[in-house]
Amino acid sequence: MAMLKTILGNLLRPSRTRAPADMPVVPPTYRGALTHDAGRCTACGTCAFVCAPKAIHFTQDPGISVSWHFFIGQCSFCGLCEQNCPTRAIHLRADVPGSTNSAGGDGLRLESVIHLQPCTRCGAAHVPLPAATMDALWAAGADEAERGYCPDCRRWAASARLRTAFTPDGAVAEGGRHDR
Amino acid sequence: MNLIERVIAISRRRSPWICRLNAGSCNGCDIEITPLLSPRYDAEQLGIELHGTPKHADIVLISGTLTLRSRQAILDIYDQVPNPKAVVALGSCPSSGNVFAGSPLVLSCSLDTVVPVDVWVPGCPPRPQAILDGIARAAKLLEDGATKSQLAKSRLAGSQPESRCGRPS
Repeated sequence: MAMLKTILGNLLRPSRTRAPADMPVVPPTYRGALTHDAGRCTACGTCAFVCAPKAIHFTQDPGISVSWHFFIGQCSFCGLCEQNCPTRAIHLRADVPGSTNSAGGDGLRLESVIHLQPCTRCGAAHVPLPAATMDALWAAGADEAERGYCPDCRRWAASARLRTAFTPDGAVAEGGRHDR
Repeated sequence: MNLIERVIAISRRRSPWICRLNAGSCNGCDIEITPLLSPRYDAEQLGIELHGTPKHADIVLISGTLTLRSRQAILDIYDQVPNPKAVVALGSCPSSGNVFAGSPLVLSCSLDTVVPVDVWVPGCPPRPQAILDGIARAAKLLEDGATKSQLAKSRLAGSQPESRCGRPS
């Protein structure tokens, strides 16, 4: 009886079993197309360094922005960039990248622009830290003004704190500038 | 377009015969074609049939890194495919060379500089459904008369300016 039901069901079903959109499900760990979150990227260049086929590279617009470039036509989908990204800015989505009619554009090349910010102390343009990292670094009682500092000023601020800890008389002239 | 031409155009979409060409691939993309023809992905629902010879094919699937030796083979096989024809490039290798780019015998250039490519299927290797999607797309282009070879033919004098990538000078 069960067999008859199956046969009847197959007779009533249309001949097309699976349209391209209706395919076996993709496993959740599937490594598909890359996404890049410019808000989390610190432009450290680790992804470009670990990428074996050199699908990722950075370009600079000095003083204004850093751009992250990705060419899917050169990617092996190994996931090393996602694994090594210290701020988890890169993510390989678990969906199948669609076919395109031209290798030039059409989603095969991605560009993500990271805008530089001027340092609130010395004015040097730098890549801002991701918001989550800032919250972790300046969580409790630390100087909120340091959030906008460039790496050099952050280093200067840290050493200034260290020096005032050793010489509490205020031997450090506040507002002294680091050598750039 | 009269009725017969319309029927011919539709039948180009409804029964695209494919031919597989390995231009120096690691075999990953070729292995993904096998489940494509199995009942699980069922390429024959779209009328796709795999043929061993390019003389019977409408669509050529080219996979793999282009090498100095495979370049002439690609050109020869492409010439054997009867018009109208479409080319589907599988995976990352044809578009750039992937990890093999820069090797001594690998042409580190796009397949587009050797034969006109109509559809690029990204992936390394692409999933069978992506390949099926690419073939369906190429078949639609064949119906519309919009593949690069058809367009070049309709332009008559407009033969593609062929680049000299990898050609011994």
